[in-house]
Parts: sequence; structure tokens; C-alpha cells
Amino acid sequence: MNKTFKTSLAALVFSTSSMMAMAAAQAKDITIWCWDPNFNVAIMKEAGAIYSKTHPDINIKVVDFAKADVEAKLQTTLASGVTTSLPDIVLIEDYGAQKYIQSFPGAFASMNDVVDYSKFAPYKVKLATVDGKTYSMPFDSGVTGLYYRKDYLEQAGFKPEDMQNLTWDKYIEIGKKVAEKTGHKMMGLDPNDAGLIRIMMQSAGGWYFNDKGELNITGNEALKAALTTEGKLIASGITKPAAGWSNWVSTFTSGDVATVITGVWITGTIKATKDQENKWGVAAIPKLDVKGATDASNLGGSSWYVIASSPEKKEAIDFLNSVYAKDVDFYQKILVDQGAVGSLMEARKGAAYETADKFFGGEKIWQKFADWLSKVPSVNYGVFTNEVDSAVAAQLPALGKGGDVDAALKAIEAQAKSSMQ
Amino acid sequence: MASANRSLNRYFDINGWFFVAPAALLIAIFMVYPILQTLWMSFQTGKGMMTQFGGLANIKRLFDDPMFMLALYNTMIFFIVQVPVMLTLALFLAALLDNPNLKFRGVIRTAIFLPCVSSLVAYSVLFKSMFVQDGLINSTLLALHVTNQPIPWMTDPFWARVLIIIAITWRWTGYNMIFFLAALQNIDKSIYEASRIDGVPSWGRFFYLTVPMLKPVILFTTVTSTIGTLQLFDEVRNIMTSDAGSAAGPSNSALTLSVYIYNLTFKFVPSFGYAATVSYVIVLAVALLAVIQFYALREKD
Repeated sequence: MNKTFKTSLAALVFSTSSMMAMAAAQAKDITIWCWDPNFNVAIMKEAGAIYSKTHPDINIKVVDFAKADVEAKLQTTLASGVTTSLPDIVLIEDYGAQKYIQSFPGAFASMNDVVDYSKFAPYKVKLATVDGKTYSMPFDSGVTGLYYRKDYLEQAGFKPEDMQNLTWDKYIEIGKKVAEKTGHKMMGLDPNDAGLIRIMMQSAGGWYFNDKGELNITGNEALKAALTTEGKLIASGITKPAAGWSNWVSTFTSGDVATVITGVWITGTIKATKDQENKWGVAAIPKLDVKGATDASNLGGSSWYVIASSPEKKEAIDFLNSVYAKDVDFYQKILVDQGAVGSLMEARKGAAYETADKFFGGEKIWQKFADWLSKVPSVNYGVFTNEVDSAVAAQLPALGKGGDVDAALKAIEAQAKSSMQ
Repeated sequence: MASANRSLNRYFDINGWFFVAPAALLIAIFMVYPILQTLWMSFQTGKGMMTQFGGLANIKRLFDDPMFMLALYNTMIFFIVQVPVMLTLALFLAALLDNPNLKFRGVIRTAIFLPCVSSLVAYSVLFKSMFVQDGLINSTLLALHVTNQPIPWMTDPFWARVLIIIAITWRWTGYNMIFFLAALQNIDKSIYEASRIDGVPSWGRFFYLTVPMLKPVILFTTVTSTIGTLQLFDEVRNIMTSDAGSAAGPSNSALTLSVYIYNLTFKFVPSFGYAATVSYVIVLAVALLAVIQFYALREKD
């Protein structure tokens, strides 16, 4: 009797402990949604591989679908209140950060207890902060640059030195010469896309909103200068109209236009055109003619967010923190492999940032982007950037035909006001 | 008395209810409930999940919203220009193809009908690549010296609307033509014989015989086309907007009510209540236009 009891007790203890061991050995899944297979998907897989080496019990699953679908799915799922189908980590473009954080309070986990945010580019931290709490792991930066075709400019009589410290007036002047001598337009421009307006505006420290998040349109010198400049660009005839993203990309991959002004993430696309090797150079973007204008700005860029209701929340935050906030070598690898300029400041001192890029004729382009990154003016992207953007884009075709800038600003303000409810 | 009793019995017949119950239940869950829920939602204001009851605030917002007015204006332009053009075209094509002496009748019919089996997204993407600045259409027009400047199909507000109208007309004309063709077959041929003997010219036969006889079908195609045009979404979304672009066509010239609803829900700060209000505007517009069309094409005794 006693013996059977002991045996069964032993069996019970054994089975319980083995069950506990099994539970511990069972890998935990961290699911991640992001959108670009050559960029953030590949980078997240790399990060996952690094983390799994030290944490074999964690299994990183990267799900890749189109950006618009990620956003629509995230938005509808959060609205439905059913959180079980959400991932543990999701990538959100910086312009939408405040929209998600403020529209769905409590949906994302703040990481202030774990992450040392002083190590990141300040503008990236600020854009995901509400009431002193920061909800993102800052990821890639959209620091801007002016990519130019050295061969076309040379034919028009310009050297790389002529492309430094440009103003927009000087840029248009060069563009006219290039068009005259080579027949190539200076840049592709999509009149439905307010991206260039945002670049110019932020380069002078302005945005659609002031620091308090209030609408700032009619008295906004930076926006006014940006709209005036874009009007001049279109009117001068040095732009090639493009319809949509892929059409815009083809304006330079086909070798049609002489320059591209956009975020650093385009580098990979430019380098993919192998026949254009050694033909490209990189310079700072032209300066606006207003107070506080700089030659550094930002377009796009995104950050990682952890879903607060996720059962693997702690693990997800630890994963992001140990790779994205600490691993300088990781940033060197993604810079070389994917052309991703991260926003961790100490990563800039790594070896990869010092390398000369063969494609750009041996220029140390990464060092340049890193320098510009530290100069990007910090602005408040606010909650309603998409709404105002749509209002701005609606005014662009009229401006190109010589429309009045002040009237356009008034129309933008009226439309934006009614959208911000 | 007896017949009234019988119909009442029928009303309370449990077996009858039993048969319609599954369908009725499904309709209640997937049609009636969402429609009522949307109506309730249209009185809510706020961002995302932070909603509260706002009474008539959303309706007031409609009248102060220039973007909504623009969407309504664009939708009406598409409706007023496109529906008559398409239906007239479909009617003429049907009358021509009804001629039994026409060679390759079947082939031509199929060719005109085929566009409407293509997927909306697929044909939109194809149209987009054909109509870009240096696309197939512009290079053809330039080569034929129809124009000496490429037409700014996607970068000029006027041409953007023209492009959308061309696209939906291409897609839907054949579909409506089939209804007219089917109706034409039902018209008694002896009427035409009689009129021919009376010396009515062919245009007279078309306008005074064919068109009046087709009235019910014209009404049907007008109402369905109206509904389709007011809900226009796929073409604009795929031809005129991109992930990077912020406007629906240059100066938002192709922004329709459905695209605006999409933007309000998925692109902008989610304003589900206001989006529901705008969707009820479509419902009301369709209902109103249908009533007008029924009235205009009613049987006059």
C-alpha cells in the first residue's frame, strides 16, 4: 500500500516536472507584420536570427504583406476590439504614429521602462511620444539627399562641386541648363504626391502643425516657401510628370531624369540599376529661402510597435531592445545589405558608415547621410498629417499653372479644418 | 370571408415560416443588422475607438466639409456624363448587332461583352499603364499626329475625369448591351414589318418603335448603372491613387464618395461615424435617383 502510494507519488512528481520542462522548452512565437521584402522584412529576419542565437526558445515569425494592407488590417482589427488576430510587433510609418497611438489608446505598449531613448535621433523618439510615454522602437530614417547623374550634369557643364550648398533657385537654374544641353528633365514629380512639399517644409523646421499639434497653415513660412518653390519647379518646365509610385521610380531607373530628391531608402533602388554604376553622386538637398532653413530633411521612415495585449509582450520588447537599441554591428550589416540608415546614434560610428560606396564612384555616401540625420529638424507630425497632405496635394496642379500661393494656403486650411474632427 | 381566412391561415402557417427561417435569419444577421448598426454608428463622433454620441454633428459636418462636397460633385459629374453616354452607346450597338444580316455577329457581340468579365482591378491596372504620360495611348496618338503634345491623362484634372469615364464606359457598355439585345429579341418582328409597309424610315422605327418598347429595360439598366456609378471605387483607387500619392487624381478630381469613405476609415484618422454618415448619403442619393427615374419612365396610360 505504502509502496504503491510512493510510486504513484513519484510518478506524479516526475510527470509534473517533465510537463513543466516541456512547457519551458516549447518555443514562444513572436509574430511581426511589415511590408518590404527587400527592406524591413529582410532586416527583421536578420534581427530575428541574431536574437534566436541567444534565445533559442523564441521563434521570430515575420509576415510580409503590402503596406496599405498592413495599415488597413491593423486599423480594422484595432477598431473591432478583437485582439487575438493581431501580431506581437507591427511596423508603422512615422507619419501615422500619432494617429494610431491617439485613436487606439492602450493598444500599444510603452517601452520607457526598458529602452534608453536618449540613444536615438531625437525626432524619431518625439514622433512616437504622447504624454511623456514613448511607444515605438525607432527604426529606419528617411533622411533625405539629392541624388544626381554626374554624366548628365557634366554634359551641361556642371561639376560635383557645383551641386554642393544649393538653393532651390540655383537648382532650377541648373535644371534649365541640363534640359537645354541634354534634353533630360531635372526630376520626376507626381502632382498627386505632396512628398516634396513635406521634404522642403521639414528642412526649414516647419510642419502642418505647431509644437502643440495645432493646425499651422496660413502663417506657416516654411509651407508657403515650399509651395512657392514647387510651383516654380513645375512652371519652369524642368520636371517630368509622373503618375503614381512605380511610374515615378521609372523616371530615374530608366535614366530619364537627372536628379532624385527623396529619402535614403531609395538608395537600394538606384543601386539596382547596374548599368548606371559610377554615374550617380549624392549631395545635400537644396535650401529654402526662409529663416531656419537647413539642407537636411526626412521623408517617410518607420518604427516598430509592440501590441499591448500580446501575451508575448515582454519577450517582444526585450527582442527589440536587445537588437535595435544595442547591437551596433547589426546596424552595420543592414546598412551594407539593405541600405538602411537606422536612428541609433552610436551606430553611425561603426565601420560600415566609413566605407566608400563603389556604385557612387567611391563616395562615402553613408557618412554624409549620417551627418544629415543628426541635423534633421524635429517637428510634430501630429495626428492629421494624412488629411492635410490630401488637402495640399489637391492644390498642387493649380500652383504649377501659376496659381496664387496665399489662396492655396487658405483653401488648404479650410479643407484641413473640416477634416480634423 | 373564406378567402380572407385562408390567407390569414397562410400567414400563421408554421411550416411556411420554417422554410423561410434560415434565409430570413441570414438576411437579418448579414443585411439588416449591419444596416441598422451603420445607422447608429452615423450618430457617433470621435477618433477610432474613442467615440461618443454626437447627435446630428456628423450631418452638420457634411455641409462644412469641402472634401465631401468635392466628392459629391465628382460622383455626380461621373453619373451625369457617363451613364447617358454609356446607355446610348449600348442601345445603338444592340440595335446594330440585332441585324440578322450582319456578318460575324457572334464574334462582335462577344468582343463587346468580353470587357465585363475582366476583373476590375486587373483592367484598372492595365488602363493605368496604357494612359501614363509616355504610355501606349499617348505614343499612338503622337504617332498618328492626332496631338503634338502628350495628353496629361493622369496629371490634369479634366483629363483625369475623361480617363475614368472612358475606363468605366469600356468596362460596362457590353454588359448593358446584352440586356438590350435580349429585350430586342422579344419584340414582335411583325410590328417592324407593318411599319416598313407603312413607309416608316429606319431612324423612325428605332426612335418610335424600338426605344419605347425597350422602356422597362432602359429603366432597369439606368437604375443599375446609377447605383454602380455612385459606388464607383475600384477604378479610381487603382488608376488614380497610389500608396505614395495623397490625392485621388490631380486636385482630387477623381475623388468619389466611395473613395472618400475608404479614406475616412482606412487612410485618415479613423472616423467610423462620419464614414457611416457619408455611406448613408450614397444610400439616399441612390434611392432618390431611382424614384426620379421610375417616375420619368413610368407607364403613361
